[in-house]
Amino acid sequence: MAQQPLSSAQQPTDIYGGDEVSALVLDPGYCHTRAGYAGEEMPKQVIPSFYGHTADGRDIFGDEVIIPRASFEVRNYMNRDSVVEDWDVATKIWEHLLVKRLQPERPTPASKNGLNNVNDNDGDVAMEDVLKDENGGIDASLLEKPLAESPLLMTEAPWNTAKAREKAIEISMENWGCPAFWLSRTPVLAAFAAGKATALVVDIGGANASVTAIHDGMVLKRSIQRSPIAGLWLSNQIRAMWETCEPKVEIVPTFMVENKKPVEAGAPADVRLRNFGFPIADSFRAFEEERLLTEFKESVVEVWRGPGRYQGPNEDFARSQPGRVFEMPDGSNQMWREQRYKVAEGMWDETAAYPITGGGDEGRVSKGQTIPALIKASLEGVDVDLRPNLLSNIVVTGSTSLLNGFNDRLNMELTAMYPGLKIKIHAAGLTSERRFGSWIGGSILASLGTFHQMWISKKEYDENGPGIVEKRCK
Amino acid sequence: MSTQTGKWREDQILVICPGSQTTMAQLGCAELTPPAFRIPTRMFKDDEEEDSWRPVHTYKRRKANAVGKAASNGGGAKGDDDEWEYVEDPDSDEGAVYPIQAGRIANMECFLAFLEHVHAKLTTTYHNTPIVLMASPQWTRPDCEDIARYIFEKTKTPSLCLLHSGVATQYGLRWPNMTVVDIGYEKVDVTCIYDSRVVSHKDVGAYPSAEEREISGGEVFTRKLLSLLEGKGFNREMAEQLKKSAVCEVLPYVPDSPKLMELPAENVGPAGVPAAAAPVEPPKIIETAPLTDDDGLNGDKDVVDEDGVLNIANIITSGNTREFLAKKEKEKAEKAKPGRKAKEKAEVDAAAARARLPNSKRTWNMFHYEDFVTEDVPVAPPAAPAPVPTKDVEMGDGAAPADTAAATADGAATAPTGEAKSSEPRADQIPAAAEGDAAPKPETAAPPESTTAQAAPTESAPPASEGQQQQLTEKQTKRVRRDIEVGLERFLFADRAEIDRIATAIYQAVQGIQDMYMRPPCWENIVFVGNGARIRGLKDNIMQTLQARHLVSPSSATMFTSELPSNMGTPSGTGSQTPTGSFTGAPHQLPTTSSVNPLLQAATTASLGVPGGPLGVQQQAGSNAGDMAPSHHFHSQTPTNIKLAAMPNYLSEWSKNGFEEAMFLGAQIAARLAFCIHNLDQSTADAQRLMSLSRVDYNELGPKGIRSHSMLA
Repeated sequence: MAQQPLSSAQQPTDIYGGDEVSALVLDPGYCHTRAGYAGEEMPKQVIPSFYGHTADGRDIFGDEVIIPRASFEVRNYMNRDSVVEDWDVATKIWEHLLVKRLQPERPTPASKNGLNNVNDNDGDVAMEDVLKDENGGIDASLLEKPLAESPLLMTEAPWNTAKAREKAIEISMENWGCPAFWLSRTPVLAAFAAGKATALVVDIGGANASVTAIHDGMVLKRSIQRSPIAGLWLSNQIRAMWETCEPKVEIVPTFMVENKKPVEAGAPADVRLRNFGFPIADSFRAFEEERLLTEFKESVVEVWRGPGRYQGPNEDFARSQPGRVFEMPDGSNQMWREQRYKVAEGMWDETAAYPITGGGDEGRVSKGQTIPALIKASLEGVDVDLRPNLLSNIVVTGSTSLLNGFNDRLNMELTAMYPGLKIKIHAAGLTSERRFGSWIGGSILASLGTFHQMWISKKEYDENGPGIVEKRCK
Repeated sequence: MSTQTGKWREDQILVICPGSQTTMAQLGCAELTPPAFRIPTRMFKDDEEEDSWRPVHTYKRRKANAVGKAASNGGGAKGDDDEWEYVEDPDSDEGAVYPIQAGRIANMECFLAFLEHVHAKLTTTYHNTPIVLMASPQWTRPDCEDIARYIFEKTKTPSLCLLHSGVATQYGLRWPNMTVVDIGYEKVDVTCIYDSRVVSHKDVGAYPSAEEREISGGEVFTRKLLSLLEGKGFNREMAEQLKKSAVCEVLPYVPDSPKLMELPAENVGPAGVPAAAAPVEPPKIIETAPLTDDDGLNGDKDVVDEDGVLNIANIITSGNTREFLAKKEKEKAEKAKPGRKAKEKAEVDAAAARARLPNSKRTWNMFHYEDFVTEDVPVAPPAAPAPVPTKDVEMGDGAAPADTAAATADGAATAPTGEAKSSEPRADQIPAAAEGDAAPKPETAAPPESTTAQAAPTESAPPASEGQQQQLTEKQTKRVRRDIEVGLERFLFADRAEIDRIATAIYQAVQGIQDMYMRPPCWENIVFVGNGARIRGLKDNIMQTLQARHLVSPSSATMFTSELPSNMGTPSGTGSQTPTGSFTGAPHQLPTTSSVNPLLQAATTASLGVPGGPLGVQQQAGSNAGDMAPSHHFHSQTPTNIKLAAMPNYLSEWSKNGFEEAMFLGAQIAARLAFCIHNLDQSTADAQRLMSLSRVDYNELGPKGIRSHSMLA
C-alpha cells in the first residue's frame, strides 16, 4: 500500500494519547466481550463470551455461528467470577475481536485465508506456540505484530488475580506487539463513563454484582464487595419460579421452534418444533434459554419499588394489579402478576428468594449478598469521612440494573439505611450506556490526551517483564 | 470552511457503491437513476510489473498472423516479441482478485487500485468531483482511514463522503426507522435503524471461521442448486443462470407441511411419482436450438413459444415424458437437428391450459440457458456448455440496450440489472464500448480481430480452461439458447438452513436493539436489499418464516385486565417523516431551501450524534433516581407485527429496476444532501459539514478526520 507522507500542512501528531492513536479498548465480561476503538461512544463489536466448540476441535466465535449444529458445545472462556479461565481460548477470542474484526485484513498471497486461520488448526494449541513453533517462518512474519500500531486498554474485575493480569499484558505485548498497554478496573471506568472520579459504583452485571468505592480514580480495595446476585442468578430465579408455578412452565427456547399458532392464555402450546436430526448439547440449550430469560426480564420482571419490602401486604396488593402477559417462543402465554415482582425480590431481601432446586449453596442467597448489604459492607470498608461523598455519587451500571424499578428501589433502600444523608444515584438513561458502562469509560480514558503518560510502553515491558503491570496498574 | 460546502453541481458528484461482486457507480446524481455503470469488483495482478493492477484480464498471445496455437494463455515467453501481443479479455475472470470478500476488504491494495480504476473510468478529465463512497459495515476504521488517505492523495477530489450501506438504503427508501436486510453475495447484513441512526447490527457469513468459509447470501443458493443438479450435467454457470431465471423460486412457507413448502404434485403423471418424493427424474437437456438474436430477446418464458418450449411442457405434463424424450433423443441423434414434430401440435391445445399454470404449480419447467455457440456447427450438444468465441455485437451490446425494452417482456431472466456476476461483464461492456476502448472481446480466446465480420475460418481453440472439448467453428457465432428441463430442484434449492440463519439474524438483530421502544418500528419496516434478495420468493419466505415463528399474538389474557394489551406498541414514529405527507411534491426533486427537508434534518441531527463526535453529546442521561430515560416506558414483548416497509413508487425507473439496489439511490440522495444543498442555517450547515470530509478538513485533521466527518453510523 502506498504510504505516502501527508501534505506538509499536516502536523505530526503521532503521540500516544488522544485521538491520534488508534487505541483499542477491550472489555471482557462473563456474558459478553466488548471491543472497539477508543474515542467512540459504543463498542464496535460485542460478541458473547460464550463460544462454540465443534466436534473437530475448532472454536468459533460470535452470535451468528452459535447455531444448532451436530456435536456442538457452547463454552465460556471466563469463569463465574468474571476472571479468565481458559487463556488459550481467551487469546483466540480476543484476537478474533481485536484483529479480525477491528483491523484491516492483511494482504496474504492466498487471499482466501485470513491471517488468523493458522491459529485455529488445533483448538488446544496455545497461541504463542503456534506463532513460535509450528508456523515459524512464513506465518509469523505475516502475522508479526498484528496490533503493532494500537495501544490496548483492557478492563478487569476488581478482584482479578495477579497472575491473570500478568498474562493479559504478556499476550498483548508478546503476541500482538501492542506498543502500549493498560489495565483498568471496571468500576473505575464505569465511574469515568458517568463523569465522576469519586463514586460508589454499583455494578449489577451478568455473573456478578459488585459494589466498589472509587476515590479519585482509585479503587478503595477494602470497599470491594461482590455477590452472585446478578443476571444469571435472576435467570435461575425465573427458572425456579417457572418450575414451581402451576402449571409448570416448560422452557422451549426460540431456536427449537419452527412455527407456532396463537393459543388462549394458559392453554398448552400449539407448536411445531424443529427437528435437527442430531442431539442438541445441553450447553447450547442453556445458552439459548438465556436469550428467552433475558426477554422475560426485559418485558415482565419488575423490581418492587416500595414502599417497604415486597413480602406481606404489598404482595397482595400486587396481585390485585394488572399483570403482564408473556408469550413463550412456543406460543403459550400467561399473565404474570405478583410473581414478576417476587422473582427479583431476592436481590433485596434474602428471605424472598426462590430456593434453587439442586443448585446447592450456589443459588442460595445469604443475608450478606443482597444489594443493600453489599453497599453497607462496602461503605463500612471506607473511611467515615468519605461516605457522604460516596453516597451522593452513586453510579449504577450493569445490564441487570436495567430491571424496571431498580433505581427506585435502590433509592428507597438507601434512604432507609442512611437517613439524613444525601443520596444521589446516577444511572445512565440510555440502555447501552448502562450495558457498556465500563467499556465507555475505557474509551474515554484511552482517548484522553493526558493518558499517554500512563500507558505501560513496550519498552518498559521489555525491561521489567510482565510484573510491571502489578506495579503500574494499581 | 463554510465555503467548502454547497458549491458542487449535482452532475459533478461521483457516487460509488462497491459490492463484493459488482460495484455500482455513476457520475452525477441529478436524475436519481439506477446506476449507469456496473463494474465487476475485481482486478488482475499485472504479471509484468510488481504491485500493479489491471482492470481486465490481460494475457500474452501469439499474433493472429502467426496462426497456429493461439491458446497460449499466460504468456509463455518464447518467440520473438513482435509475434506476441497483449490481449485484454473483459469477460475472463482468470486470475481475478476480488478485493472485497463478504463485505470485508480482503485486499486493500487491490481495492484502492480498483477505486482508482473506477474513478479514472468515470471522470474523464479533471473535474471538481466530490466522491460519495458507500462502505460496508465490516470495513474497519483503519480501512476507512486508508481509503480516505488514498483518495485525497491520488485524486483531486475536494470532498469525500463515506456512507454506511445500511444508512444508504435508509436514505433511498426514506423511512426513518427500518430494518435493512442486505442479502449479498457471500454475506447477509442486518442493520436496524431508528431515527436515522444505526441501533443494532448483525451479520452472517462476514467473519468466516478458520477452515470453512461459512458464507451466507445468494451464493449459498447457487451452491445448493449446483449440488442438487451437479450429477445432471449442470455446471456453476448454469446453476447461476437457473437461479436467476424465472423458473427458480422459493416457494411460500407452509407451516404445516413436512418440508415447509408445498411442492407441486404430479397430478396427471402416470409415472406416479408422488411429488413429495421429489426429484427422481433428472433434468433433461432437451435440445440445442440455435437462435437468432431476436429469438433470444423475444423468447418469453411463460408464453407459448414455437420453439419447442410448450411442446415439452405439454409432453411432460401429459405424462409420457420418458418415452417421448427417449424417442426424441433418438431422432435427434439421427438427424443431429432439433426435432420439432408437427404431430405434437395436436397436443398443444390440450396442454395450453396446463402451460398457463404458474411456475410454482408445475413439477417441471423449462429453463433457457443462454450459451454462446458458433453458428453452423450444432454438433451434439456438449454436455458442459462451452464458453465459445462469439460475435459480441449480438450478445453484449445487443443485450444491454435491449434490457430496458425487453426487461418487462423477458421477465427477470435476463436480469436487467445484472444481478450478480454473470450478467455484469456484459453490462460492463457498455461503458467500455462507449469509450471506444476495445470493443468487447469474445469470450475466451477468439482473436480480437474477429469481433467484426472477419470470415476467415481459423481454428479458434477455446483455451480449455475447464476442459471443454474443442470445436471446429466458423467465425459466425450466435447466441444459443438451450432449453433445459428442471424438476423440483428449482424449488428445493431454497436451503432451509440458510433461510433459518437469515431469519434468526433478523430476529436477533431487532430483539438485540437495546432500547425496547425502538423495536416495534424496526419490526414493522423491514426491507430486503442486495441482489441476493432478487431470488424469487425469498423475501416472502423469510417474512413468512418470521411471522410464523416469532410473531407474538394478542393474548386472550389481556381481556381480563384493565391494562392495555401488551401488543400495543407505543406510537413512537415521528409522524412528520412518514413519506405520505412529505413526498407529494414532484418526483426527483428534493425540496430545497423553502421547506426544510425532513430527511436532511433527520440526517443532520443524526450526524451530530455519530460516534467520533465528542463523547456523551447525545441526550443528557437521566441522572436522578427513578427518572429513567425520558418518557420511554416501553416494556412490551415484541414483535407483535412484522411487516415489509412500503417501497416508494414515485421513482418509476427504480420501480422497474427493483429496490434491491436502493442503497445506490440512497447514496445519490446522500450525495445531494452532503454536497448540493445550499443556504442552510448555521447549525444545519455545521451538520452538513460533518457528513463529508473536505480537503480542507483533511489537511487539518488527516485521514482520521473520516472518523467524525462521515456517515458511517
